[in-house]
Amino acid sequence: MLKYLAKRVARSLLTLFFILTIVFVLVRQMPIEGYFPNFEKMTPSQIENGLHQMGLDQPMTVQLANFYKGLLHGDLGVSRVYNRGKPVWDILKTKIPISIQLGSLSILFSMLVGLPMGIHMAQRKGKLPDHLGTAFIVLIQAVPAAVYYLFIQLYGTELMQIKLRFDPGDWRSWILPVLSLSLGNIAYYAMWIRRYMVDESTKDYVQLARIKGCNGSRIMFRHIFRNAFVPMAQYLPTSFLNTVIGSIYIESLWSIKGMGGLLVDVIHKQDNNMILGIVLLFACVGIIGLILGDVLMVLFDPRISFTKKGGDGA
Amino acid sequence: MKKILAVLLTLALLAALVPAALADNGTYTTYYAGEVSTLNYLVSSTENDQVVGANIVDTLVEYNTYGEVIPCLAESWENSEDGLTWTFHLRKGVKWYDCFGEEKAELTAADFVSGLKYVLTPAYESAIVSNVFTAQIVNAEAYYNGEVTDFDQVGVKAADDYTLVYTLANPVPYFVSMTTYGSFMPVYGPLAEELGASLGVDNQSIYYSGAYILETFEPQSERLYVKNQNYWDADNVFIEKIDQLYNAESATLSPIAALRGEVDYAALDNDIMDDWRANHAELITQSRSNLQYSYFYCFDFDPQYEEEYEPANWLIAVNNANFRHSIMSAMDRTYALTAETDTPEALLENTITPPAFASVNGKDFSTLPAFANIDQYFYNPEKALEYKAKAVDELTAAGAKFPIKLVMTYKTNDSDWANQVQLQKSQLESVLGTDYIDVVLYAGPADNFLSMTRRAGKYSMQRCNWGADYADPETWTDPFEINIDSETGKYQGNSYNKMDKMYDTDYAETKAFLDAYYAKVKEAKAETSDIEKRYNLFAEAEAMLIENAIIIPFRKSTTDYQVTKIDVYEGEYAPFGICNLKYKFMHLQDEFVTAEQNEQSYKAWVDSMEKK
Repeated sequence: MLKYLAKRVARSLLTLFFILTIVFVLVRQMPIEGYFPNFEKMTPSQIENGLHQMGLDQPMTVQLANFYKGLLHGDLGVSRVYNRGKPVWDILKTKIPISIQLGSLSILFSMLVGLPMGIHMAQRKGKLPDHLGTAFIVLIQAVPAAVYYLFIQLYGTELMQIKLRFDPGDWRSWILPVLSLSLGNIAYYAMWIRRYMVDESTKDYVQLARIKGCNGSRIMFRHIFRNAFVPMAQYLPTSFLNTVIGSIYIESLWSIKGMGGLLVDVIHKQDNNMILGIVLLFACVGIIGLILGDVLMVLFDPRISFTKKGGDGA
Repeated sequence: MKKILAVLLTLALLAALVPAALADNGTYTTYYAGEVSTLNYLVSSTENDQVVGANIVDTLVEYNTYGEVIPCLAESWENSEDGLTWTFHLRKGVKWYDCFGEEKAELTAADFVSGLKYVLTPAYESAIVSNVFTAQIVNAEAYYNGEVTDFDQVGVKAADDYTLVYTLANPVPYFVSMTTYGSFMPVYGPLAEELGASLGVDNQSIYYSGAYILETFEPQSERLYVKNQNYWDADNVFIEKIDQLYNAESATLSPIAALRGEVDYAALDNDIMDDWRANHAELITQSRSNLQYSYFYCFDFDPQYEEEYEPANWLIAVNNANFRHSIMSAMDRTYALTAETDTPEALLENTITPPAFASVNGKDFSTLPAFANIDQYFYNPEKALEYKAKAVDELTAAGAKFPIKLVMTYKTNDSDWANQVQLQKSQLESVLGTDYIDVVLYAGPADNFLSMTRRAGKYSMQRCNWGADYADPETWTDPFEINIDSETGKYQGNSYNKMDKMYDTDYAETKAFLDAYYAKVKEAKAETSDIEKRYNLFAEAEAMLIENAIIIPFRKSTTDYQVTKIDVYEGEYAPFGICNLKYKFMHLQDEFVTAEQNEQSYKAWVDSMEKK
């Protein structure tokens, strides 16, 4: 396992290098006018000076070398437009915890509601609870999220007599954003756990357990649910780590000062250091999430091995 | 006795009502969607950032609600006879404070010197340094470029603590108006030295001497301004606190929040106006018109778009005066404006310099003799067809093919603009015929729009705009300015519409026009003592652009529909600089300003302006 992990980490570092280099080069292809809001009224010497201060007058290889030199020293540079003069990491470190908090609450809530809902639907397959659950899933997946986000905000705040804007000092302010963010995941978890459980319940080992007289609940939870959950477990670490990315629309709508929308914003503003800092963060999150997901799968299902190849010989 | 009592009671009631209607304290709460990139007013050029600087630090002069210059940090000022030396006498006892309200130092003339030095330091990348060059401060540009290394040689001195002297290389009649820009604002010298590029990173890394102190600054969360109780003009600051709450969706949510009483201001987008007119018409008011921007149509003299749109053919056409006139006469600008406003006539302008921008001896610039017959060049379908007939003959002889493809650009995320070009396409083609022109609509990107359209030459005709930089008609010639390389003496194509590139072509008529136009502008710029003559010369130059259909004037800045608890006609009024961003002089009402009140305020303001 350790050998496998070491290989994965090494490959991941190479992946990271390619991602960062490609993004680094791409952002520097943007028109220089985008760096200067006052471009029309700037003199050539002003523009030249601005490009020099940003290091953009250097050859690309020199710029890349300087970037990686800084990165290896833990220096992501300073923001030039988003929050001028402030170190990139100082900006990110205030936002990450907020997005993680919102995202984690949402995932927990989604699992607490979505998984039991899916299990119940699987147990009552074809009956009213299953139909009602399916209707909910279809509705959530068909209606654009932006529509019900706004609906919840406008009418939910009126019902609860709270402000339209997120108020960190009021615990009730968390309810509606978390609910909004959770609805999609509830539908997702319910749908997939129901599907996997229905698939598992048709398998031979389940039939055998029933014939042997095992208790229905024991079959459902110790066998069917456990096996059905394995494919979903793989994505759990990624889901939690992706909370760092934040929710673009929810955080904008409620003015929650997390990571959501930040990347889009800094790309619009051509704040190169911020772009690279965020891309680095997202890339690391993605890579670590995938590695942890694989590890979790092995923990959940001892039949899975990193070293053996080929199909399951069970 | 009873009557006297009744009168006294009525008077008491009225007296009680007035303070309630115009509260001298209270918090003005709004949403904002765009966070500032910095609090450093010495570097930022965006209005979004400058709002902060305008309210936390003062300028040498400011403006009253009628656009008249009034003393601010300078109590008085004078200039030498040759116009090269400007001396400002500063107000004594103005102090710097930190964000906690603790006094730090007295504001002196040296702080203006420090401010200018900061702006002229290339490492700090001030985006507004060009204002200093425009003001022609001695050795300012040389210092910035490294040709002069001793800042003492730059034309700004603190003669003593309360006397500030600027020395100019050439007379600049509008110099006082330039001091209302960030580049001429003071900064506490030792703080600027200590923090360098980190000045203004947060509310603790800047000092305050203006009407407000930024007590709270949490990016993407809240900005809370509190009245500076020790402000030299505290008697004219009526709003105690300004609480700005970040909301990226404020355009959508502000109107609802306003109705719920959560905010005191909301801009009303066109999309919701029907609903508001039906349900809350009495609350809809309009912002005061902003003379800072003027909108006009440019023809492109250096088309660089794809071959399928026949740029070479366009080049032949655009160099023909009759062709340009045919477009200008065919264009119904009022009709086009209906895409943006219900009151197109109020926005329409027949000059590039907006009406009421400048006046001399009581005469508005836009009514000077040079513009006396300017109306004849605008919408007239019969004349358009006359011009068309002449253009067809001349262009056919010149080798042009018909229909001439006319690429008209707009910004893809601007729905009003998108609607407008649709109206213009159908209107122009209906007047002139599709055998003559084929209007091709091109949607430019939301980001880097100008880079991808006008600057890249990817248009035939485009709606452009320019913002005034100082109180002089010269500012409106800047977009058409031609840069001469001082070493080679050659021109560098720099004008908005690249008309100066025609110097390298065989289009003799255009070249002759350019010679005459630039000579006129040069003559106008050189006239610095007789202001009436100066303005008339600039008017003649501007009239040349219109009379030759090089530029088609269009409109002023639009006013916005809003719901607000502030009477906009109380605030400072200036078409340039940052003074119109101040909250000073404004009162916060308990209730929203009504449409009727807004109308009355507007009429009273217009009446007063006309009398001045």
